[in-house]
Amino acid sequence: MPVWHEGTARWVKEGKLVLLGVTQEQHADRCRLLAQWRRFDWPILHDPINLLEPLAVPILVAIDEYGIVRSGKPALAGFQADFLDKTFADDAQATPPDRVGPNLKKDTSAPDWETLRAEARKADRATSWRALGDALILWGGDKSRDEALASYTRAVQLDPKDGPAWFRLGVCFRRRYESSQAKPGDFQAAVDHWGKALDLDPNRYIWRRRIQQYGPRLDQPYSFYDWVTEAEKAVRARGEEPVRLTVRPAGAEIAHPVRALPIPDETAVNPDPDGKIHRDKDGLIQAETTVVPGQVRPGKSARVHVVLRPDAKQPIHWNNEADPLRLWVEPPKGWQVSDRLLQSPQPARAATTEARSLTFEIVVPSTARGKTRLPVYAVYHVCDDAGGQCRFLRLDIPVDVTVER
Amino acid sequence: MRRISLSLVAAAFLTTATPASADPYAPKVGQRHPDFTLPDIRTGKPVSLSEFRGKKVLLIQFASW
Repeated sequence: MPVWHEGTARWVKEGKLVLLGVTQEQHADRCRLLAQWRRFDWPILHDPINLLEPLAVPILVAIDEYGIVRSGKPALAGFQADFLDKTFADDAQATPPDRVGPNLKKDTSAPDWETLRAEARKADRATSWRALGDALILWGGDKSRDEALASYTRAVQLDPKDGPAWFRLGVCFRRRYESSQAKPGDFQAAVDHWGKALDLDPNRYIWRRRIQQYGPRLDQPYSFYDWVTEAEKAVRARGEEPVRLTVRPAGAEIAHPVRALPIPDETAVNPDPDGKIHRDKDGLIQAETTVVPGQVRPGKSARVHVVLRPDAKQPIHWNNEADPLRLWVEPPKGWQVSDRLLQSPQPARAATTEARSLTFEIVVPSTARGKTRLPVYAVYHVCDDAGGQCRFLRLDIPVDVTVER
Repeated sequence: MRRISLSLVAAAFLTTATPASADPYAPKVGQRHPDFTLPDIRTGKPVSLSEFRGKKVLLIQFASW
């Protein structure tokens, strides 16, 4: 986009041209940071659900004063002569559907919720439930997210071949996962629903990228958000405060693609080879695992996300004065793993209760089929807030990996 | 930003058994672009393509990655 931004700046300033961006990603604030960094001063809209349904990006379309498409592949060379300085007539040959997505009422700038709900209930068709879901997720805010989720769920029940509804259902799950109302399994549900959408139409690269964003390096086309740190640094150097990101990209999102998994450190020592460390029988620490993609093809790779968090219902905290949290991975015969032993960084404060995220990658054997349980366990130091008792515990975290052709 | 041309996308699938599906976003030259309304990334307020009638617009769909 920098080429177009710079190449058209003069015409935009002279009022001859409007640049209108639409970003096809889940987090609007990341695009805001990019725009701040690159000084993109034109309007940019957010399409987190792939409402406009481009297969891939970037896509540029030149549209004249009458709203008629004049080029689907404009080039900067010749842009002025072929489009900007050219006089067009209101001669649209045909009019495709007038509108994509929900209409907003002029007086409230909001969808007509009750009409949309009534239409969905009365028609009970996938398209009407999907339309309600679109309105809710785009314009209803977090309070409408679960209703959007229910609307898309009904849409895919009525039409299991509705790829956009599957994809948007995944977006709802991921949004909830990133919220304070997250439920166990939300991240895996997001990945699984994106996978179902992609199975229906593998040509949708916007959908594919949403999975790859959290997937293994062997399947990544490029690093998605490695530019964030550089952007923040450059913005600060200008004396500005960079856009604050609600969900900071980490792990897979900033990783770079590789052609082969690194060989794991053979000297890594199993922290509990004989299984003698006491198990966390009281569930002081809760674990959630997500495998991306949800179904791995034989011989292919996946990324396993493990999140550990102190149980919110119990007075417990990490003991940061002792050894850090470690994760041990025991790959079955023929399986490759990126790491056998992972270690979580510890905050400077002695007692904290944050969620801790660790990820590793696997390559499954080409002969693997069906479900395989990958033995994984964590060891950690935690303390009881009330009694002051500190313990060193082990939590077994079986990771189920499904291999399908 | 990464450039994934549609021709490359198409080529990647020519060798597979997956039947090509119709492109759901295919603005045709000479036809009116369908209107749409989406939230502005800075303000969250709704902005419609039709608000720019009377001006020449370069519509850019992209992602920050």
